[in-house]
Amino acid sequence: MNESVPDEQDGALAAEYSEDGVDLTLIRWMLSLTPAERLQVLQQSVQSLLRLRDAAQR
Amino acid sequence: MQPSVDYRAILRTLCHEGVDFIVVGGVSAVLQGAPLATFDLDVVHSRQPENLARLMAALEELDAHYRIPGRQHMKPGFSHLASEGHQLLMTRFGPLDLLGVIGRSRDYNQLLAETEEMEIGGGLRVRVLSLQLLVRSKEETGQEKDRAALPLLRRVLEEKTKS
Repeated sequence: MNESVPDEQDGALAAEYSEDGVDLTLIRWMLSLTPAERLQVLQQSVQSLLRLRDAAQR
Repeated sequence: MQPSVDYRAILRTLCHEGVDFIVVGGVSAVLQGAPLATFDLDVVHSRQPENLARLMAALEELDAHYRIPGRQHMKPGFSHLASEGHQLLMTRFGPLDLLGVIGRSRDYNQLLAETEEMEIGGGLRVRVLSLQLLVRSKEETGQEKDRAALPLLRRVLEEKTKS
């Protein structure tokens, strides 16, 4: 299982984070979408989080 | 009851009533590629009297009321919307914050030159504050929650410039 996890010192992995720890892969993914698709992602994320919160409160 | 948030429905209502407004805050950041979750829609509206009348009609349609405890039964009036203040509302499609000004007292007219019109689905087009000015206004407010968002927003700007 661990064999597929890249070494944290690996340069390729390090390049996916900015020096202040921001995940650049998520930014690049979002930038590949249209504004309408980005809004859809946001709405689905928020709905999903609200459903989780709701379920946890029951 | 299932909680519901539909930013597009709020924006559609504002557009349908012909309200002049600019999307700012977290939703504007997302529309420009920032991977973050935000639970309210922030807009800066024009405070021209004719626009306030259109805004009032849209708020009626949205069944908007204050979401501050103790004021939930109250609806914003003309004078509230004409002020520079922030009206924190709940609508039938989720939270909506109407902001008279942002950052260093920048109002709708001052922000207009730094906006971009975007198509957000279903033929709906809205004005969105540029990421550059969003970053600047968050730097200006100096609030901790705004400072926390800055590293992500700055990286989005960098990546946009590269692509």
